[in-house]
Amino acid sequence: MKNSKPALLGAAAALLLLGTHAQAQDDKIMIGGAMSLTGVQAPLDTPALKGAEVAVKYLNDNGGLLGKQVELVNIDGKSDPVTVGNVAVELIDKGADLIMAPCDFDFGGPASREAQSAGLVGISTCASDPLYSSWSLGDKQFTLSMWNTTMGAVAADYAFKEKGWKTAYVVTDQFIAYTKSLSKYFVAQFKANGGEIILEDTYTNGDNNFSAQLARLQALGTKPDVIFLSSYGQDIGAIIRALREVGYDAPVMGGDAYDDPAMHEALGEKLGNNVFFVTHTWMGPEAHPDMPKFIDLYTQMHGSAPDTSFVSTGWDTVMMMAEAVKAAGSTDGAAVAKALEDGEFKLLTGDLNYGTAEEGHAPDKAAVMIELKGGKPTFVGWRRPESVPAP
Amino acid sequence: MTFAVQFLIDVLSLGGAYALMALGLVIVYGILRLVNFAYGELIMVAGYTMFLMNGSGAPWLIMALVAVAMAVAAGIATDYVAFRPVRAKSVTAVLITSFAFSTLLQNAALLFISPRPRPVPLPEIFSQTVTILGAVTPLRNLITIAAAVILLALFAWMMRSTVLGIAMRAAATNFTMARMLGVPANLIISSAFAISGFLGGVVGILWIGRIGTVVPGIGLEPLLVAFIATVIGGMRSMQGAVIGGFLLALIDTTLNYTLPQDLLKFRDAFTFSLVILILLWRPDGLIKGPASGQRT
Repeated sequence: MKNSKPALLGAAAALLLLGTHAQAQDDKIMIGGAMSLTGVQAPLDTPALKGAEVAVKYLNDNGGLLGKQVELVNIDGKSDPVTVGNVAVELIDKGADLIMAPCDFDFGGPASREAQSAGLVGISTCASDPLYSSWSLGDKQFTLSMWNTTMGAVAADYAFKEKGWKTAYVVTDQFIAYTKSLSKYFVAQFKANGGEIILEDTYTNGDNNFSAQLARLQALGTKPDVIFLSSYGQDIGAIIRALREVGYDAPVMGGDAYDDPAMHEALGEKLGNNVFFVTHTWMGPEAHPDMPKFIDLYTQMHGSAPDTSFVSTGWDTVMMMAEAVKAAGSTDGAAVAKALEDGEFKLLTGDLNYGTAEEGHAPDKAAVMIELKGGKPTFVGWRRPESVPAP
Repeated sequence: MTFAVQFLIDVLSLGGAYALMALGLVIVYGILRLVNFAYGELIMVAGYTMFLMNGSGAPWLIMALVAVAMAVAAGIATDYVAFRPVRAKSVTAVLITSFAFSTLLQNAALLFISPRPRPVPLPEIFSQTVTILGAVTPLRNLITIAAAVILLALFAWMMRSTVLGIAMRAAATNFTMARMLGVPANLIISSAFAISGFLGGVVGILWIGRIGTVVPGIGLEPLLVAFIATVIGGMRSMQGAVIGGFLLALIDTTLNYTLPQDLLKFRDAFTFSLVILILLWRPDGLIKGPASGQRT
C-alpha cells in the first residue's frame, strides 16, 4: 500500500494525458499487458502472453475489431507487484484501452487496480483465488479463470460422487493464497458431500522433503481413499514421488498447478498413474471444436506446438475482450464491463458466465478433469459443479 | 525403533546434501572472503545439462558425469567472469558482479530453454526403496548419505595431504603470506571455484533426484540453505560448514516431526529463531576459522 499514492497520482496524470494521446491512436485498439516474462510468475504468464499474441494476429487477419486494428503491447511485470502496477500506469499512459493482468491475485491485482482507477476493464488470465473479484478490485475487473471455489468443488464432487472415495488425506502447501484456499474449498465441499477428512497436514514449499508428513500418515494406520495435495511448482512431483515410493498408491488429486507436462514426464510410466487434477482446458478437440485451429495458429506463429494448456488462457482473454467490445460497440470501460457481465462465453477454457459486480464477478465456469495414466494425461471431461462453497 | 531409523536416515540424507552445498560455498568464501551468489546456478547448470542430454541415448552415469563437468566449468567461468576482473578493486563490485552473473545465467535459461520446468532423466535406482529395520526408505536417501560420506572424506584427505590442499589452507589462513611464499593466487582461486563447481554439480544431481525437473530458479533454495549452514557453522571454517549443514537438517527435520499442525505453518520462523539463538551464543558460528586473514 506504500506505493498506492504515487501510483494513483500517476494514473491521474495518465488520465489527463489520455485526452490528447488516445485520440492520436484512434485507428487502433490497444490491449496493454503487464505479464511477467521473468521471475516466479514467468511459467504462467509467458504462455498466456504467447496465446494472446496468436489471438491478436487472428483478430487482425480477420478484419480487426470495430473496424480497427488490435495492438498488444506487453511490458515485463517482472513478477513484482510494484513493477506490475507501474507497468500498468505506463500502459494506460500509452493509450491502452484494455488491460491484461498477470495470473494470480498478488501479482495481477496491482494492474487491475490501476485499470480500475483509469476506468478501464482489466482481466487476469488465470488468477483463481476468489480475492480476484469486483469486491476487492472494482466493478470493471474480472478474472478469466474459475475461482478456487469451483476448482475445489469439482475435485471434491468427482472424488465423492463419481468415484465413491469416502476418506481423504489433505496436504496444504503454505506457499501462496492459491495453495491455501484450494485445500479449504476442497475440504468444505468434501465434508458437505458427506466425506471424512482423516488427516490434514502442512508442507513448506521448496523443502522437497516429505518424510515427516509421511511418518504422520503412516502412524494413522489406515490408508485414505484419496489424497488431495494442494501444492505448487516442482514440489508436486517431488511429493507424489515420495508418496508412491513408500507404497501409497491411492489416487492423488489437485488443481491447475498440476497442469505441467514436465512433471508428468518426470513421474513417468511407473509413478505417473492414478493422479487426477482440475484445470482450465485440454489441448485436444474433445475440449472445444476450435482447439485444433488454435493449436495450428499457435504453431505457425511460434514455430512449435504449445508446451502447456495455459496458452489457451491468453487466447481466451483476448477473444473474450473482443467479443465484449463488439457487444458494447466501444472500448468504454463501463460498457465493456456491462457486456462481460451480460454475456455467456463459449471459450477454449470452458463456458463462462460472470456474476454482477455486486456478486463479485464470480465466474460460473466449467472445469476440465484430467487423469494421468502411465505419465500421460488423458481427458476425463468437463465438469460444472451444481453448487460451490461460499468464498 | 522403526521411527528412530526413519528419523536418522532423514536427518543424515538431508544433512549430507546440505553439508555438501555449504562446503561448496565456504571453500570460495574461505579464501576470498566473498560469498559467491552465483553458486545456486551451478546446480541449475547441472540440471539443464541433464535435460539437454536427455534422449541422447547416453547411459545415465555418463550424463551425470558430463553434468558435473559442466558445473565445474561454470564454477571456473564464475571466477573468470565475475571475480577475477574486479577482485582486487572493490568488495562491492564483486558482490554485484556475482549477482549479475547469477541473473545472467538464470535469464539465459529462461530465454533459451523455457520458464517452464523441464524433466531431467533419473535412473531407476533413484525411485527404488529398501526396508531397513521396518522403515521403508527411498534408495536415493542412502545414495545421498553415501555420496556425502565419500566426498567429505575425499575432501578432508585432499585438504590435509595434497600440495593443492595445503596451499589452499595456507591461502585461507593468510593469503598475502601464502603468496609471498610462492603460492600462485590465481591458480588457488580457480581451483577453489572448480571444487565449488564439482560439489555444486554433485549436489545438483542429488537434489534434482528428489524433484525430477529443473527450472531457472532451482538454485535459490540450495544457495539459501548453504548460506545459513555456513553462518551457523562459522563462515571461515570448512568443518563448520559441514556441521552447520547437518545441524540445519536436524533442526528442520525435528521441527517437521514435532511441531503441531497450527505451528507447522510457521516452521521457518522457528528454524530461524533457533539460528538467531545459536548466533547470539556463538556470534562467529560454531567453529572459528583461522584467526588471521584479511581479504585480498
